[in-house]
Amino acid sequence: MKRFIGVWLIIISSIASAAEQAETLFKQLAPSLYQIRLIDKASGEKSSIGSGFQISGDGLIATNYHVVSSYARHPEKYRIEFLDNQGKKSTLTLESIDVINDLALVKREVQQPMAYFTISDSVPAKGEELFSLGNPHDLGMIVVPGTYNGLKKESFNDRIHFTGSVNSGMSGGPVVNKDAQVVGINVATSGNQIGFLVPHDKLIDLVNNYHQDNSLTIDQQMSKQLNEYQANLIDRLLKSDWQLKKLGQGIIPTIDVPFIRCWGESNADKSDALMMLAVANCSLEENTYITSDFFTGSLEMEFRYLQAKKLSNTKFYRLFQRQIARVMPGNKAGKDDVTEFQCQHDIVMPSHQLMTTKSIFCTRAYKDFDGLYDALYLSISVDRNDQALLSHFTLAGVSQKSAQAFTKQFMESVSWK
Amino acid sequence: MEVIIEEISRGHKLIGRHKFAQQTVSIGRGYHSDIILSDPHVCAEHLTIEFDGENWRIIDQDSINGCFLDEGKKPADGHIVRSGDIITLGKSQIRVVFPYHPVATSITLSPFENLINLAKHPVVLSVNILIFALLTGWIFYLNNPKEVNFTQLLVPAVGLSLIFAIWPAIVSLVSHLTKHDARIFTQLGICFIFYNLTWVSDFLEAFLQFNTSSASVLPTLSKLLPIVIAFCLFWLNGYIGFHLSKTRRIVIAASLTGLLFGGGFLVQLSKKPEFSIRPKFDSTLLTPDFLIAKSSTVEAFIEDSNKLFDKVEKKAKKDKE
Repeated sequence: MKRFIGVWLIIISSIASAAEQAETLFKQLAPSLYQIRLIDKASGEKSSIGSGFQISGDGLIATNYHVVSSYARHPEKYRIEFLDNQGKKSTLTLESIDVINDLALVKREVQQPMAYFTISDSVPAKGEELFSLGNPHDLGMIVVPGTYNGLKKESFNDRIHFTGSVNSGMSGGPVVNKDAQVVGINVATSGNQIGFLVPHDKLIDLVNNYHQDNSLTIDQQMSKQLNEYQANLIDRLLKSDWQLKKLGQGIIPTIDVPFIRCWGESNADKSDALMMLAVANCSLEENTYITSDFFTGSLEMEFRYLQAKKLSNTKFYRLFQRQIARVMPGNKAGKDDVTEFQCQHDIVMPSHQLMTTKSIFCTRAYKDFDGLYDALYLSISVDRNDQALLSHFTLAGVSQKSAQAFTKQFMESVSWK
Repeated sequence: MEVIIEEISRGHKLIGRHKFAQQTVSIGRGYHSDIILSDPHVCAEHLTIEFDGENWRIIDQDSINGCFLDEGKKPADGHIVRSGDIITLGKSQIRVVFPYHPVATSITLSPFENLINLAKHPVVLSVNILIFALLTGWIFYLNNPKEVNFTQLLVPAVGLSLIFAIWPAIVSLVSHLTKHDARIFTQLGICFIFYNLTWVSDFLEAFLQFNTSSASVLPTLSKLLPIVIAFCLFWLNGYIGFHLSKTRRIVIAASLTGLLFGGGFLVQLSKKPEFSIRPKFDSTLLTPDFLIAKSSTVEAFIEDSNKLFDKVEKKAKKDKE
């Protein structure tokens, strides 16, 4: 019994100490924490909110790119404002962005040097207690304790897996260790107690780049970052192992990298279906946010194997034709962001000579980012009477070279058993 | 001297024709007249046409509404008749012609006419309608993702055949109303032959689309085929149902074709959104049996896509300006 009470005391004291720690931290850091708001100039009301934190004595504030994305794309429509812990408001200027890692640097005017957050120079240990700061849902600044769980494995871009509640509005807020050093920036949540952070080294890189060269406009920075990112991603994919897998009587490729995950489905349980269907989907589980209606950096691959059961060949192909007419692009983009798709089609036989396909390739160009395109490919085997294999992919925000290299690799990888 | 008097309608269609050998011909509503008109605007004794040994002369019998030359306001009383003169009395018209008035040259009986008449032959007609109904049912079956039974196919097949029979019915009705020969079975036969021809052209288009790449112009050319078919159908509708001059028949057939395809095109144009995120490509698929084209290589396919990239790049630049 004594031992039992002892355990209880330890638990209570540790909770008390965590709460105390959080309180001291909060008091100490509060003056350098801001709510970042985008004010719509025409209506004078805030259109989006997030959090931010000062990282230099001269007024440089770090936040998420997605918090200020509307301003970055339409500076004439909005202005950026901060609200500090004393309720003071003032205008901010947008200095630099990292669209891939969802970071932005904004700046306030300061009269005299101010207190600021120091950025950690080391990576936390797995299980280390961290504190996430921010202003969720405009409810006021809060501190959320949580645990560092390493980098997310299924991600091409580094993201810290943080066990703690990161809510909307806390985006752009800092995550600090018990020494009050920034180890990450709140960026996303995946439901209960699962939060994602941008690692602190991305912020260090951004600040260093900003101090070295700030001649590029925001659009130019974005264009450069998107270009470098797609080149790295496609290069990595093409150099990875393309494993050939069986889907029905077909052979399809899957790319052996942890950040592309595949899912499958079939109608094997439906005995009355007119055709047997097996579907495999693989996709990159992240994309790049440009604005709320413009995303890029995505990759999806889909394969469908169909086999006619109680169908004439003519009807089998007729129904198939109706299915493929409904293909949509994989990423959201609007009239101001991209052109309409242009398509080509042909009867193609890859060099393995095992399959004849009707192949369709479509592309659209980005209006603001030179040399970037979305690509969409769709191909249907047309050489077997009662079996067909559909292979499809969409790539967003890639160069012509990347798109064509990927298409070539993909086309050569699909065949019959 | 003999005189021929024709009763004609306002559209100058012949209603009745009378030949007289006497010196005086009386026209009126009264039963004692030589030509009895039922028009209430005509008097019992309206006018007479009298031969004075040299000329035929119109004499108005003091009628209430008078009589006039042609459609005009020029009174016909005392007018010396020339062959072919048209006289309006009340709301009726007559035409006075003398013997040996020139007539149009006779039309030769053409083998083409015999060919058209073949369309109304009961066997030809029923076979064509049957083919149309079967094809309609078959296409309905192909497009239905579920299993369908015979009755489910019968309804659209018969329904659609009936709907498509409306057009020849309308044409026949119009030719009947305009005092032409209705020839409903010929119209039906011709229409269904051409409806079936459009199935053939549909298939041809799909076949070409399936077997060519997007660089080929053949599928685009084959899209003209239905327009030609429609023009021929309308031309034949006119040929069978109405006595029209050649130019008139061509103009009418062309206008109807323009209305049909131009109208369809306008409807499509009005529905087209300013910007579409959906890629538009040709999705035509036929069974492997219909694949005759030589396959391209992956390299050639990728090489072709350079043009696409150029095109969208130019478009993006243009939009940006």
